[in-house]
Amino acid sequence: MPMGHTATEQAGSGGLTATEHRLANGLRVVLSEDHLTPVAAVCLWYDVGSRHEVKGRTGLAHLFEHLMFQGSAQVSGNGHFELVQGAGGSLNGTTSFERTNYFETMPAHELELALWLEADRMGSLLTALDDECLENQRDVVKNERRQRYDNVPYGTAFEKLTAMAYPEGHPYHHTPIGSMADLDAASLEDARAFFRTYYAPNNAVLSVVGDIDPEQTLAWVEKYFGSIPSHDGKQPPRDGTLPDVIGGQLREVVEEDVPSRALMAAYRLPHDGTREADAADLALTVLGGGESSRLYNRLVRRDRSAVAAGFGLLRLAGAPSLGWLDVKTSGGVEVPGIERAVDEELARFAAEGPTPEEMERAQAQLEREWLDRLATVSGRADELCRFAVLFGDPQLALSAVRRVLDITPEEVQAVAKARLRPDNRAVLVYEPTESNDAADTEEGQADQ
Amino acid sequence: MSDATTHADTPVSTMDFHPQPRGGAPKPWAFPAPDRGQLPNGLTLLTSHRPGQQVVAVEINLVAPLDAEPEGLDGVATIMARALSEGTDKHDAEEFAAELERCGATLDAHADHPGVRVSLEVPASRLHRALGLLADALRAPAFPESEVERLVRNRLDEIPHELANPARRAAMALSKELFPATARMSRPRQGTEETVARIDAAAVRGFYDTHVRPATATAVIVGDFTGVDLEAALADTLGAWSGSTAEPLKASPITADDTGRVVIVDRPGAVQTQLLIGRVGADRHDRVWPAQVLGTYCLGGTLTSRLDRVLREEKGYTYGVRAFGQVLRSTAPGSPEGATGAALLAISGSVDTASTGPALDDLWKVLRTLAAEGLTDDERDVAVQNLVGVAPLKYETAAAVAGTLADQVEQQLPDDFQAQLYARLAETGTVEATAAAVSAFPVDRLVTVLVGDAAQIAEPVKELGIGEVTVVGG
Repeated sequence: MPMGHTATEQAGSGGLTATEHRLANGLRVVLSEDHLTPVAAVCLWYDVGSRHEVKGRTGLAHLFEHLMFQGSAQVSGNGHFELVQGAGGSLNGTTSFERTNYFETMPAHELELALWLEADRMGSLLTALDDECLENQRDVVKNERRQRYDNVPYGTAFEKLTAMAYPEGHPYHHTPIGSMADLDAASLEDARAFFRTYYAPNNAVLSVVGDIDPEQTLAWVEKYFGSIPSHDGKQPPRDGTLPDVIGGQLREVVEEDVPSRALMAAYRLPHDGTREADAADLALTVLGGGESSRLYNRLVRRDRSAVAAGFGLLRLAGAPSLGWLDVKTSGGVEVPGIERAVDEELARFAAEGPTPEEMERAQAQLEREWLDRLATVSGRADELCRFAVLFGDPQLALSAVRRVLDITPEEVQAVAKARLRPDNRAVLVYEPTESNDAADTEEGQADQ
Repeated sequence: MSDATTHADTPVSTMDFHPQPRGGAPKPWAFPAPDRGQLPNGLTLLTSHRPGQQVVAVEINLVAPLDAEPEGLDGVATIMARALSEGTDKHDAEEFAAELERCGATLDAHADHPGVRVSLEVPASRLHRALGLLADALRAPAFPESEVERLVRNRLDEIPHELANPARRAAMALSKELFPATARMSRPRQGTEETVARIDAAAVRGFYDTHVRPATATAVIVGDFTGVDLEAALADTLGAWSGSTAEPLKASPITADDTGRVVIVDRPGAVQTQLLIGRVGADRHDRVWPAQVLGTYCLGGTLTSRLDRVLREEKGYTYGVRAFGQVLRSTAPGSPEGATGAALLAISGSVDTASTGPALDDLWKVLRTLAAEGLTDDERDVAVQNLVGVAPLKYETAAAVAGTLADQVEQQLPDDFQAQLYARLAETGTVEATAAAVSAFPVDRLVTVLVGDAAQIAEPVKELGIGEVTVVGG
């Protein structure tokens, strides 16, 4: 393959390989050996996320993820955390639109414990689930929502953007954290039904990566997970099909107590797993990734109208991906001027495409990001699960960086032309409600 | 442990249960011992070859502490650090950023109390090129007037964003409370609107000329060096940096007022209260450090530690509260000024507004119980197993290893400090860990900062009797 400028011979896979297995109950297993460090990562992706939630129960997938750490048949209340940490491991779980993942990174000699723990909750969570832990974790999650979204300037911007980019009733209209009202409404029976519907070996992928003996690992997986019954009760998420472009500019102006004006926007972009999504990633990197990007050079360096300006990409497989523009204005600069500048830059990029130097820089940046993700056993385990769950083939994780490097400037231009248009975006403008005098009080600190 | 058969009202799974497995024999792992050397220009060099780590991490320590900033120019170290990458004798600012990104590299620079740190990460195959750019930034920064002016304006724009962030605001208020007004440590690390506005290219150049030179700098380089001729890559890059020798700076001792008291930074309508409760204590040179690490972990290192067991997992007041020790700056006991260092010892987290009083009440109960009854042997054992056991996970990447090695240099610690720490943790008993935790967090010597809605939280907090309560503007 013609890739003169790759940083590594294997372009990201670093010579890594993965093998795939399937238990009789449908659990898919991916193993990848790497003996450089005596650690092993266990990662379990359940094919359920906030897109599976129904009206009135937003946030349930994430609340449920918390309940998975509250004990199971053989594991006491906080036992999952206690046992993993006591064995020198680290662990957590996260919930997104499209999946829920659970992961442990262990010293290699403690791998079996992590497998035993994951199997215990996959097979027997409901024996330990009760009202007390639901009430407690409901409060914890509500405080998580306050801490991460409600008590932070611009904290609910992402929620507002997705609500515009994906229309009412669409499975991605709401974000995984859910609403306070729905969190309050979730019942023990909802949680039980959620487990019975989505938590089954045939709705999950398990990856184990690192300093492992594959034969022994597979034997442990069979021993602990093999007897967990599968079932076919899973409800598919509501259809996420949408037109490629929004078809008109949506706009919301928020007046809030924020430190500066801001212009944010969400663009509908191609689905993850396509060449077009990789091309979009490169386009957003050229336009708004890092300090040599077009928007940074224009708004922060030259016009000096913004304190920060950039683009991010949320890759989604079951709905259009989301390109997220975020510009915080400088001093008293007003939004319309910034918006004109952004439009000019996007239009110019769509007309001209990337320069060869911009392509080289964007590909080098994305390549390093991939190398970073694959530098740890836990990062690799997560990527193997991602490609297995969303695209049916874990091997795609090991060639992902090659695909990014294979994209042509023409493809980058084409996606910019088709998608980065004013009629394909939801715009969110922040206007501060009062002049910000916090800096003075920091100096003064006089008012008691 | 609960038992499936005791839950007769829920469907019993049909899976086969097996007893909890016992772990195998641990495989040996040690924190890497770096190779230490010096380039002819006086630059100290620490390197560590980590097979498989294709992204190389480079950390540069510059002995340019915040204490050395000229009077009234707080923030000049920060602006200088940022200006290093805004143009050199070979590239202007935009070209420099573009060249770095062409290498697939990231370059960050920031100023803190001990000095300025410049961090580079780059795929090994492009290390040489990126080292060239890094060396240009250190050796021949252009500090163009217009770029410095832009950085100053940008920094001024950032300040309101920081003040609006509850955690950042709490940290600033705590520093102001703890340290004497004359101490640099009492003031924001990156300056205030007043001081930053005074900074210009001449001030940046002056700070650079006075404090940045290879003879007092250290480069830490970690990663997979297979196929990399490191010596050659260094010779025409960092090796080409020249500068005079300098008189070593003398660090002054850190003093703090930890009289128990409460400061509320008023945020009318806030749905949560940000807590930051702290004082200063021992740094890594102190013999008590391993016991302090262990005791602090048992108190609030994780979700299963004492604080979260009550505040999160029993009461649901918070998404999580953590206790930690963070070294502010250090000098070695054998240095000309002796041991002058200290660490910030603190408890931080946020709780919903209505639970502020009850949460602080419970937090103080946890501290009192710890002082009265001590830690258990089980707690101590689990903490040691975790702190020691996670080391190979924690130091999987080149960046993690480089960061710790650079911290050691910055704090004047021996290169084997981290490696020895694991052995010392394993030797630390329950009694020592208890004593260290109790003296780190004495109930009557803690300064409490609350960023939240004073109208709702001031009265319940006054009733707790944890010190005089003062309300300041948000």
